[in-house]
Amino acid sequence: MASHLKCEEITVRFGGVVACDGVSLDVEEGKIVGLIGPNGAGKTTLFNVLSRFQEADAGEVYLRGQPVNKNSTSQMVNLGMARTFQNINLFAEQTTLDNILIGAHHLCAPPLQSMLWMPQARAVERELTDRAVEIAEMLNLESELDNLAKNLPYGLQKRVELARALAAKPEIILLDEPVAGCNEEETEELQNIIARLNRELGITVLLVEHDMSMVMSICDYLYVINFGANLAQGEPADIQTNRDVITAYLGEEV
Amino acid sequence: MEQRTDADIQDQSPQPTKWDRSAIVRLKARFERQNWAGVLFLLACAVAFPMLPGVEGWQAYTVALVIIYIIAAQGISVLVGFTGLVSVGHGGFLAIGAYTSALLTKYFETDIIIGLISGGLMAGFIGFLLGLIFLRLSGAFMAIGTLGFAFFVGTVVNNVPLFEGREGISLPSNKVMFWEIGDIGFYYVSLTVLALVTLFSYCMVRSSVGRAFMALRDSEKAAEASGVNRVLYRTIAFSISAFITGMAGVLNGHIVNYISSEVYGDIWYSVDILVAVVVGGSAVLMGPIIGGIFVVMLPFMLEELADFAFILKGVVLILVLIFAPAGIAEVLGRPIRNMRARLLRQAGYGGREPAPAETTSVAAAPSQTEKP
Amino acid sequence: MLGQQILSGLATGSVYALTAIAVVVVFRNTRTINLAQGDFGMIAAFLGILFIKEFDLNYYVMLPLVVLCSMALGVLVERIVMRPIADSDWLTLFTATLGVYYILHGAAGWIWGRDTKAFPVTFDAEPVDIFGALISQGHLINMGWAAAIGIVLFFFFKYTKQGIAMRAVTDDPETALLMGIPVRFIVLLTWGMAGFLAAFAGVLLAPIVYVSPEMMDEVLIKGYVAAVFGGLYSIPGAIIGALMIGVAENLAGGYLGSHFKTATAFVMIVVLLTFRPQGLFGIQKRREI
Ligand SMILES: Nc1ncnc2c1ncn2[C@@H]1O[C@H](COP(=O)(O)OP(=O)(O)OP(=O)(O)O)[C@@H](O)[C@H]1O
Ligand SMILES: [Mg+2]
Repeated sequence: MASHLKCEEITVRFGGVVACDGVSLDVEEGKIVGLIGPNGAGKTTLFNVLSRFQEADAGEVYLRGQPVNKNSTSQMVNLGMARTFQNINLFAEQTTLDNILIGAHHLCAPPLQSMLWMPQARAVERELTDRAVEIAEMLNLESELDNLAKNLPYGLQKRVELARALAAKPEIILLDEPVAGCNEEETEELQNIIARLNRELGITVLLVEHDMSMVMSICDYLYVINFGANLAQGEPADIQTNRDVITAYLGEEV
Repeated sequence: MEQRTDADIQDQSPQPTKWDRSAIVRLKARFERQNWAGVLFLLACAVAFPMLPGVEGWQAYTVALVIIYIIAAQGISVLVGFTGLVSVGHGGFLAIGAYTSALLTKYFETDIIIGLISGGLMAGFIGFLLGLIFLRLSGAFMAIGTLGFAFFVGTVVNNVPLFEGREGISLPSNKVMFWEIGDIGFYYVSLTVLALVTLFSYCMVRSSVGRAFMALRDSEKAAEASGVNRVLYRTIAFSISAFITGMAGVLNGHIVNYISSEVYGDIWYSVDILVAVVVGGSAVLMGPIIGGIFVVMLPFMLEELADFAFILKGVVLILVLIFAPAGIAEVLGRPIRNMRARLLRQAGYGGREPAPAETTSVAAAPSQTEKP
Repeated sequence: MLGQQILSGLATGSVYALTAIAVVVVFRNTRTINLAQGDFGMIAAFLGILFIKEFDLNYYVMLPLVVLCSMALGVLVERIVMRPIADSDWLTLFTATLGVYYILHGAAGWIWGRDTKAFPVTFDAEPVDIFGALISQGHLINMGWAAAIGIVLFFFFKYTKQGIAMRAVTDDPETALLMGIPVRFIVLLTWGMAGFLAAFAGVLLAPIVYVSPEMMDEVLIKGYVAAVFGGLYSIPGAIIGALMIGVAENLAGGYLGSHFKTATAFVMIVVLLTFRPQGLFGIQKRREI
């Protein structure tokens, strides 16, 4: 299978802290790949590098084999990559519907057509709104469409983030701790949704998550990083019994 | 007050169990129609105003002055209200518009329509450049940078011979195409520009562009993750804003047939436009209209007491900030909005109250580090 | 010639510095860009005229009186205008100071009239020779005062309880509050200090530019630009910025023509904000989202 997202020897330093220290990973197309590691291992930092929020000090990122280190953050969506944030980043003063619509920004008509309300632009707008409602329905958010994002409970806010990412029609989606702070029921629901996205829409998923039972049951492949460096990789079953991984997590949360 | 009504509604009609979005969509469309009816009514009044018995040219002239300020304020509200950027330097764009058109009229005898277009474009272009220069700025730094811009424009018109400094440039009487227009004709020209700008703002705010602006305002990070090109949309916002204010500048020069650095070299002129938006309210289309009326009419009513008008303006400004921080338009519109909110809530819109503190996002966030 | 330009540039710069320090101190403790800073000084200058002309006071009796009045004005503004909106966003705070600007401007125009007035105390016109560079006595005295105030401030921030508390509030208001620092009082003190600095700026400038409601407008803008040099945070940065603007402006005026003089500050700020938006000496502020 083809490689969808690949990075090689990524290094990121914040002053004295080396957040990523030569991390490499390779996400195969159509798979759900997990990225795990103890707190502070550098997972979010790596995500930021992959999605062009953070300039790497060294290393290279390839999307479908093309290097992306010249692209701006907002261009990544055009290349079919969407992401969510670990610490929720919603447009707090806007409704769920508007939050989802923003995700589809790159599918809108060009600015000039759009602001002059040209008929084509309005047609696109209607279509995107319908699709946003569909996405909301898929994520069981339909009754929240008209609520302000800031008024939603935490679990739903996470889901709105996911909906916003989906609105971009991504081919690959980066999820940073999508079920953190959710209860068991919500976790299960989200887990099913992610599996469905992958299965039915063929979206490649790269997932950071501390909930091991979820990771183990949903992921096709796992990368483990610790102190900013690759520690192990393999099928979930192998990782579960891997000595290094157990040592790294010992005294942590598993 | 609001608390109580909320409780009432929950008593009468609990959240509808069956989700019905179409009811909300219909309601919203109805409100939209009501808004338009209101706007059309105002417009009809404005069109009829000069024809009323007893209305003379100078009265039309005064109202035209108010209209010009409203247009300028609309320009700034694109930036302040919808994009979350602040400009204290919009007087600079006013000046650019005014001088562009004045020079064209003086040397090429163009009419006011060409003046409006070229003045607006010139201001828009400079706004584009300024947006690029100040790309990385926000908040207080942006305010100082734009104030510096206004100051720079003031220096230029004061010192560069082409602009004839304090002597000023006198213009021939105004023309639309080949017809000369008087005060009342000018009033209609201003009104037309206002109507077009308002229509444009309305459409822009409700398009993907307006959504992108507001996204940048609320969270730059999330906006960029959603593919909003920060550089592009910031410069678009700056250009549009400058374009609109530039057109106001053109009108402002032509209405008195004279421009000089006495007026346009004064940076506090810039600040005045910002005041109109802050007093009126920046994130609602009615805001600049109310603010513009306030800023122009106050000194006008107290013509004899210019200094007293200054004091009064300061006092009102401070009182508004303390008691109506979202602007006068927000306060005036409150009854209507409350009523609509109630209707919407009955239909299931915005039924959710703010989440209790312990389940809000910050408290439940598992990690302490703050990054994208 | 060059030495002279630089020297008188430093003299102008030192008045900018007084304003810039006040802008920085108020901004970093209260998030407020104070548009009324210049007008505090303008009022002080008018009061100076009043005290000397109407009450026949000596310059050195007038000065402390004016300083006290100006500090009281700063404190009053904090209590009446700024405190009720202290928790608002910075634009609200900023526009509120604009309201104060209007009020002070209007009041000065109403009471004292719009025309410029000569300050009753002027300095000997005879220039002083410093290593071959000629400088007017007024400029020299201004520099002396500004330097003295700079030193006083240095010791204030370094050794006095209030000064240290003020810095603590700058660094982290919440922690300062938890540590038992009376943050409200410190904010009041901050505005008092703004009044203090403004009084000197106004009175020192008055003999040079004449007194009018608009006398401080330009100085204020330069003060802002200088403050940005310090990233709106660092006092030494603001002082250096102010002196640089004073000198650059004078050199531009001297060698390129007086047209260029006033535009210098803008050119400097554009270059600065384009390449180092956090200021030449500014530190990257902690950002909590
Ligand atoms: N902007 C920053 N400035 C300084 N240090 C940072 C920054 N961002 C991250 N770090 C540091 O880099 C290291 C890696 O952080 P990162 O957030 O990537 O870890 P993580 O694996 O996502 O942790 P968690 O599971 O808690 O989310 C941490 O030590 C963190 O303190
Ligand atoms: Mg993380």
